[in-house]
Parts: sequence; structure tokens; C-alpha cells
Amino acid sequence: MTGLFKSIAAAAGFAAMVATPVLASAADLPSNVRLVIGSKSTGGDTYQNSAIVAEALAKKLDINVKVDAVGAGEAFKALQRDSRGTTIMIFHDQSYLANLYGVRGYDDIFENYVVGPTVAINPGNAYLVAKNSPMQSMEDVFAAAAAGQRVRVAIQAGGVSEIGFSAMKNAAKVMHPGSEANIVPVNTGSQADKNQLMFDGQADVINGSVQANEQFTQLANDDQKAMRFIWLTAREETIEQANPEGMGDTTRDELLAFTTPNVSVTFDGSKDFTFDKEFFFLFNKDMDAEQIATIDNALKEIYAEGEIQKTQKASFFIPNYKPQAEAAAYLKAKRDQYRQVIDAIATN
Amino acid sequence: MSFDSPFHVTIDFNTSHMIFPTIIAVILGILFVSILITRGSTILATVSNGNWWPAGIDHKRFFGTIALTVIYFMAMPAVGDIFPNTGLGFYLCSIPYLFALSTLYLHERSRRTLMIAGANALIAPSLVWYILSELFNISLP
Amino acid sequence: MELLSILTPMFFALVAAGTVIGIIFGAIPGMTATMAVAVCLPLTYSLGLENGLALLLGLYVGGISGGLVPAILLNIPGTPSSITTTLDGYPMTQNGEGERALKIGITSSLVGGLISLAALYLFAPALADFAIKFSYIEKFLIIFFALTVMAALSNSLLVGIFSGFLGIFISLIGAYDISRGGNGELRLVPEFLEYYLESGFSLLPVLIGLFGLATILIEAEEGMKEGKGLSGVKIGGKPFKISVFKGQIVNLIRSSSIGTFVGILPGVGGSAASILAYSQEKNFSKTPEKFGKGAPAGVIASESANNGLTGGALVPLLSLGIPGDSTTAILIGAFTLQGIQVGPLFIGNNPVTWDAMIIAMLAANIIMFLVMVFAIRHLAKVVTVPKNILFPIILMMCVVGAYTINYGVMFDVWTLLIFGLFGYLAHKIRLEIAPFIIGFILGPSAEIYFVKSLESFGTFSIFFTKSWIAVLLWILIALSIAFSISVARKKKRMTD
Repeated sequence: MTGLFKSIAAAAGFAAMVATPVLASAADLPSNVRLVIGSKSTGGDTYQNSAIVAEALAKKLDINVKVDAVGAGEAFKALQRDSRGTTIMIFHDQSYLANLYGVRGYDDIFENYVVGPTVAINPGNAYLVAKNSPMQSMEDVFAAAAAGQRVRVAIQAGGVSEIGFSAMKNAAKVMHPGSEANIVPVNTGSQADKNQLMFDGQADVINGSVQANEQFTQLANDDQKAMRFIWLTAREETIEQANPEGMGDTTRDELLAFTTPNVSVTFDGSKDFTFDKEFFFLFNKDMDAEQIATIDNALKEIYAEGEIQKTQKASFFIPNYKPQAEAAAYLKAKRDQYRQVIDAIATN
Repeated sequence: MSFDSPFHVTIDFNTSHMIFPTIIAVILGILFVSILITRGSTILATVSNGNWWPAGIDHKRFFGTIALTVIYFMAMPAVGDIFPNTGLGFYLCSIPYLFALSTLYLHERSRRTLMIAGANALIAPSLVWYILSELFNISLP
Repeated sequence: MELLSILTPMFFALVAAGTVIGIIFGAIPGMTATMAVAVCLPLTYSLGLENGLALLLGLYVGGISGGLVPAILLNIPGTPSSITTTLDGYPMTQNGEGERALKIGITSSLVGGLISLAALYLFAPALADFAIKFSYIEKFLIIFFALTVMAALSNSLLVGIFSGFLGIFISLIGAYDISRGGNGELRLVPEFLEYYLESGFSLLPVLIGLFGLATILIEAEEGMKEGKGLSGVKIGGKPFKISVFKGQIVNLIRSSSIGTFVGILPGVGGSAASILAYSQEKNFSKTPEKFGKGAPAGVIASESANNGLTGGALVPLLSLGIPGDSTTAILIGAFTLQGIQVGPLFIGNNPVTWDAMIIAMLAANIIMFLVMVFAIRHLAKVVTVPKNILFPIILMMCVVGAYTINYGVMFDVWTLLIFGLFGYLAHKIRLEIAPFIIGFILGPSAEIYFVKSLESFGTFSIFFTKSWIAVLLWILIALSIAFSISVARKKKRMTD
């Protein structure tokens, strides 16, 4: 009997001990923060990057930060419900691109949330062809389209995977008006599906990434699976910041051969189109501005210390901290630029 | 989906979400009608002379289970919201839920059986909460 | 030898720890191998590559294996791939042979794991090259083939198939998944539920609702009487003897191979493996009428196939950089964290890591077997726990599983209740749950592969003319259907 009561008392005391989320002051964050992300995968780049940032943040602020891979829809819902700062979110350009592409369930993030700070770039977004394809470069692709040949591009609709495809169509339109109609999407899902479409001869160009596809580019020419990069959408200065070893057997300098200005997908005839997949925070619109500032300042200090950059670079992320206000303005301008691309090709 | 010839089809990506559901709905309809045709009389017979549900069932335990579960599900996020991201919504609601269910299912409520039910209601959620929420850092309500 | 310096006691201790934790996760309804790997991934940052992999591979093997415990003892599949284990495992428990069923199950698991491991080690690159011959079309036909099992599992052919198609229909509720290639548009969702049903009903809550909560509701309706249903089970029954495997060698090898092969095909999904293996065993059996009533052959087929997955799913991961299932998708994260790229060059570039992984898998399979053999005697006693204690705990664990499967979505918990009630209702109006759940599991894949095949090729004839693999699959499908019809006829003649 007494043993039982003792354990009850102990349990109650224990419960009381952990159940003290008392806020010291408004600027303090709750002691248990849930970081939801817009991806359902715990093996993907969003999770990895968020885990790195969450760990640094938890250490700096001496709180618990738990990353939950609930996916975009549920993450936005969770964020909308909670203005106390107990739920925060990290996502990437998909959050506004999907809205631009009119995907159901995506609102204008700049209206509904506080956007920023940014934390990192995944510079790996790439387009590839089969190694034995008659099209060996982006120029060949545009030439083929101009010559009336259908170029099938495997992408996942409505976001990061599609924006480079839209840019290709836009560039074709700028260079040879009308030829953009020959660049057609093959809408598919995962990287496995995109690769498979290329192996089956159902796609001429596929969207992929440096991380997932680099080894395929190292295969012998006669291997059915061999691929070739034709375009990395990242800015030149983004790739320049990567470690010189690059990825796998492809060095940074070799990667630079596939970015602007060495590969040109024009934006308007003079400037090249670029796309960096950037990861940034999103907060509830009514969250205390001081709490957001606390996170922002903590990140500023973390990046000033310089440790997190090493971790990020080791995983092929490019560190890219921008304070909240700057990040918001920057991302909004970025969004407006991509809107132009999407609008330009939407008319046909 | 439009048919160009008996075998050829063109699929419009923007409406492709309805193709498969339509096919399945048609098949379901056909199967349903076939069931009615082949079994109609048996079904009718069962419906017309059977005891109407919920007659003849243990009302207290059946509806009690459902009612307690609904309350439990509603209480968890509400309590969890008071202690955000600690899993305490789950912990604090599971104890009374387990105790109530255990007691409901008991046939003879003696001191001893009630004590066992109570101990179980305390120990099981504590263990689960501690291991999952604290050790493995898994999100609970 | 570099390899020997990796194989420290620590390495094996981590494999063992992973396997045990994995078994526990797998044994809790709703907690999966995927989740076990996901929660332990952060621990591997500091462990280094080989030690980290030792832990994760242990979790993987343990998690897949643990699923058989609740499937056999409580009729609740611990993981989706143990669905078909319940079909004969639980009837065995009801006959007092729970311990025997568990032992048959883990022995089959061990064999399945080892066969698939051998396939992985010896043929990984060749198998991967074969797997990429499977386009949308062949994958659709595999799913179609697996769906024909609905007929084989039905008590009444017509009602069973209706239940199966109903399962497919309900699995299509929600958005046409963009991440699998859909267009993201909603269908079959009433407007007032749009907020919740954006991504439809999640598989795991549906599963544990139908099997866990529904069973408890049925017991509650009958007044939770001790000595009936679950607790009416005698302990003891027929003891386990290795001779049960006599005449099952073909079954073991066929089912393990099916498991391995389905594992190799990215996107087809692990549950299809045990479903296919089970139906093939039933089709080939001389006594198909015993299936579903406690036939050891059914447990053997199901369990050897789902452990066959473990080696199979690593094939595309390690030779194409593409995960074969959701658990191996997380393993990719472990590699990238350590700066190791996975892709077609992985095995050649990292021979030591590769060997270490194979050894870890081997050790995990053996440890799994040993741990389970010792634990089974105690586990099997779970059926002697009074219902008023056991059922509330099961309900609580179902809630935990449902909530955590998508990292904290409350609607998944309500899904559990909705499908618990649906399962109860289905029981009342004699809908058949086994075909329903198989339709529900395979529905989304069937859709995407079917629609995408037509989108790419624009003709129905492609399903027949794509390749010799397609033709072969059609032959198998035709045989499977013909077989089910003939069994149903025989059954009808017997009852008439």
C-alpha cells in the first residue's frame, strides 16, 4: 500500500516538475518548442537542415526544440493555430512557388505569416539528360525545341521541381517565340520515378539534384543508367561557396561549368534565370515580435560563431543567414521575379 | 480522359485526379447491384425479421467505450494545449481514461480489482509517456 | 584488415540494442520500424558511419520482425506488412497455439531475412538493373496481381470483391498526391471535411482502427466476458516442432524471394510483398480451405516475405541511391549526415562500409531470432491478462501509434475512431475486412501507376505489349483469378 502511494506521489511530483512552462518574460521562448517542417520525410534535405538549425538553437537558447516532419499542409495548420511561439516552422521556396502555381492548400505566405530569417541553401537543384542522348547541353535542348522537336521534361508539378522547367519554357519563348510549346512536362513524383522515366525513354530531360544524381553521371557511357548534368539552377556565387571537393567525384569547379554564365537559361534576353532552394523560418502572424527577435538574434550569434557553417557545408548546404526583415524582403522580391516567369508562359 | 479510338486515350493532367475514382465507382456500382440481385432476398429477410440493433447488446459497455473514447480524444489536445509540447495532454488524460475503462469492463468491482485497475491506470501511461516523450523525444498530444 | 577494426564489441552491442528496441517498436500497434529508425537517427551523429548503421540496421530488422507479435496474439498488425500474418496467426492463437505460431513466425522471419540478405550481398547491382526494367506499367500489373488476392481471401466472392473495391475507393479520398506525381486536386471529399481530409486517411490509423478498436467494440458489445474470445484461449496447445517446416521449403524460398523482389521495386510498398506471398502460397496449396483458420503455411509465407523485404529494399538504396521503402528513405539521411553518397557507385567506392552493413544485417537477424525465442514464452502470456486491464492499454497504445505515425496529427487519432466504428459496422453487415484493407493499402499505388501509364503511352494496349515481363504478369494474374473462382465454386458446391 505505502509503496503504491509513494509511487503515486512520486509520479505526481514528477509530473509537476516537468509541467512548469512558466514564461519568465515575453521575449523568452517557451521551454518546449515544436519545429514543424513542410516535408513528410525524415531523410530529406528539409529535415536534415532543420535538425541542424534546431540543435544549434536549442543549445543557444537552452530550450527543447523538437523537429516534426508533418508535411506542408499539417505544418501550416499547426502554425496557424498557435501564436504563442510554441510552434514554429521551417520550409523552403516551395511555400510560395506552390501558391504561384495555384496548388490547392497554399496561401500567400507573405500575407499570412511572418517570413524569415533564412538559414541555408540547398544548391543541388539540377537538370539532367541521358548520357547517350542526342541533346548534350541546354543549348541542344533549346535548339531541338526551336527545330520543332518535342522535349519531354520529367518534373514534380507545382513547386521547386517545376520552376526550372518554367524557366526553360520562358527562355525558349524569349529566344525563339513559339518554341516553348515544344518543351512539355511529364508530371511525376519522386526522384526514383523521374530516373525511371529516363531509363524507359519516356523523358528526355529530368529534374534531379547533385546529391542524388551525381553518381549516375560517373557511370560508363554504355550503362543504361548513365546521365549527364546540363544545368544547375543555383547562382554561380552559391556554388562558389561550396567546399572545393564538391560532391562525389565532381569537384566544385566542374559543378560551376553547369551554372550561369557557363550554361545560360535566359530570364529576359539579358539576364540569366537562377534558382536557389533556400530554407527559412515561418512564424504565426500574431506571434510576439520579441520572441521572433529572440530567435533571430540567437541565429545571428550562432552564425557569428561559425560552427554551424561547417556542419551545413559538410552536408552540402550553403549557409545563408539573413536577418528576419531582410530575408522577408528578399524572398518577396524573389517571389515576384518568379511570378513574372510563370505569368509569361501561362499565356499559351 | 478522352478516347481517340477504342484503345487510345488522351489524359489531361489537370483533370486526371478523377479518372481512377470514376472507374472504381462504376465497378463498385456494378458489384453492388449484383449483390442486390443475387442476395437481395436474403438481405431483405434478415432486415425484416431480425432484432433491430442495438437490441440484445451490452449497452453500458458498448456505448460507454465509445463515449469515454470520444471524451478522451477531445480532452487530450485541450489539456495538451495548456502544457504545449510536453506530451502531458496524453499523460494526464490517459490515467482517468484507463481507470474508467478498466472499471467499466469489470464484472465484480471488489477492492482488489479496483486497486489493480487503478495501479494499471497509473503505471501504464507513466511508462509510455516517460519512454516515448522523455527518452525518445516523440511528440505526444 | 580495415573491416576487422570496425567490428568491435561496440558494433555488435549497437546491433543488439537496435534489434531489441526495433522489436519493441514493431510490437506496439501503430509504431513502426520507420519510426524507430527516425527517432534514433539523431543518435547516430556521434556514432560514426559504421556504428551508426549498425544501430539503424538493427532497428530496421527488429522493427519489421516485431510486427508479428500483436498480429498473432491480438489480431492487430503491428506494421502494415504483418496484415497477412493475422489471417492465420490469430486463429492459431485462438486454438491455443499462440506460442507455436510465434515460433513459426520468427523462424520464417529469420529465413526470409537471411535469403534476402544473400540476394543483396551477391546480386545487388544485377538486381537493381533488373528492377529498372519495371516501369509504371509493370508496377501497375504487380499491384493488380496483388489485388487478385482479394478474391482468394473472400468468404463470399462477390461481397469480398465489393469490400476490396470499397477499400480502394476510400483510399482515394483526399488530394491526388503531388509527391507521387498527381495534380494535388481533391476528390471524394465533402466540403466541410476539406480541412481534415487534404491528405486522406492515413494507413496506420485505419489499420489499427479496423483491427484494434473494432475488435474491442465487438467484445464490449458482448459484455467483455472473460473466458470468451481473446481470454478464452488455452495456453499450451500443440508445441512447436521444427518438423512443421517439412514440406514448406518451397514456400519459404518462394515467399522470401517474393519479399526480396517486391522490396527491390521502389514505390510498390512492403505490404504488397506479404500479400503476394500469402496468396501464392494459398494458390499453390493442396489444402487452400485451411487458410484463414490457422494454417502454419500462411504464417510462414507472410513472415518470410516481410522479412525478405529488408534485404530487398536495400538493393535500390545501395545500388541506385533510391530507397525501396519508407524506412530505407531515412537511412539515406544517415549516409548524407556522414558525408557518404549513395548511388550506383556506392558499393564499389565503400567496400568496407558495405561489408560492415552486411555483417550488421546478419547479426541483427540472428539476434532478432535469439531474443524472440527467449521472449516468446513470456509474450504469449499476454492473452492471460484480464480484458479489463489489457484492452484499455491496447486502446491507449493505438492512440499513441496513430498520433505519432505522422509526427503528431490529431486527425489521425480521430481516424482511428472512425475506422473502429466502420470496422464494427462492417462486421455487422458482413462486409469483409481483409479484402477491404488490401484494397485500401494498394489503391493509391494502383491509381498512380494506372493513370501514369496511360498518360505516358496514351493507349490501353500498352499494358499487354510493353514487355515480356508484362505478358508474364498477365499470365500470373489470369491464373490467380481462375484459381480463386474455382475454389469459390468448389466451396459453393460443398455448402449447397
